[in-house]
Amino acid sequence: MVKLIGAIFIILATTWTGFEAAKHLSERPRQLRQLRSALQSLEAEIMYGHTPLHEAARRLAAQLSNPLSSFFEGFAKKLTDTETTVKDAWEDSLKDVWKQTAFKQGEFEIMKQFGETLGRHDRISQQKHIMLTLSHLEREEADAVDKQAKYEKMVKSLGFFSGLLLIILLI
Amino acid sequence: MGLEVDIIFKIAGVGIVVAFLHTVLDQVGKKEYAQWVTLFGFIYILFQVASIVDDLFQKIKSVFLFQ
Repeated sequence: MVKLIGAIFIILATTWTGFEAAKHLSERPRQLRQLRSALQSLEAEIMYGHTPLHEAARRLAAQLSNPLSSFFEGFAKKLTDTETTVKDAWEDSLKDVWKQTAFKQGEFEIMKQFGETLGRHDRISQQKHIMLTLSHLEREEADAVDKQAKYEKMVKSLGFFSGLLLIILLI
Repeated sequence: MGLEVDIIFKIAGVGIVVAFLHTVLDQVGKKEYAQWVTLFGFIYILFQVASIVDDLFQKIKSVFLFQ
């Protein structure tokens, strides 16, 4: 009886691990898509709305869902409340929210580089930088979708079967 | 007798699970991991079988050699 309960615990734990890893894999393309649409709306705010950066960030935070929402909210808050440069505020809020996202190191570098250009040029070059970042993110998204299609199912069944194997070996 | 049936089921279970793992890993193109999983499953079962066969030989020895 105790053995059976232990076996159930083991299989639940490993299956859960597998599903959690699969969730991470499926979350990344979704968040990348969101990030791209966020940058596109930022571009629209800058080009056509002539909105100040903190105002634009606040609007983006209202439009998006977590964790990107809290990123733009933190960014807007840092811009209005503290005495920093745009680059530092961008990087700090990026670091704050990074742990909650499913992004990888590549996206972090892209976003960091984008933060360095933000607010330092006229509108036309700013638009060019946004376009560049968007194309980089598009590449990352294609990569993420590829990985998801390849590994999502594998990770799920791997979790379940490794639990089953462990039980058989331990009984 | 109970023990032997138990061990047969265990070997069959390991075989089935390892076969599934092999197929899953093969499908996503991780051929090298699939090979390793199969190899380790095989080695594990080999050890089990070897210990049982050792038991058998000991028994035969004790029956026929009158030690």
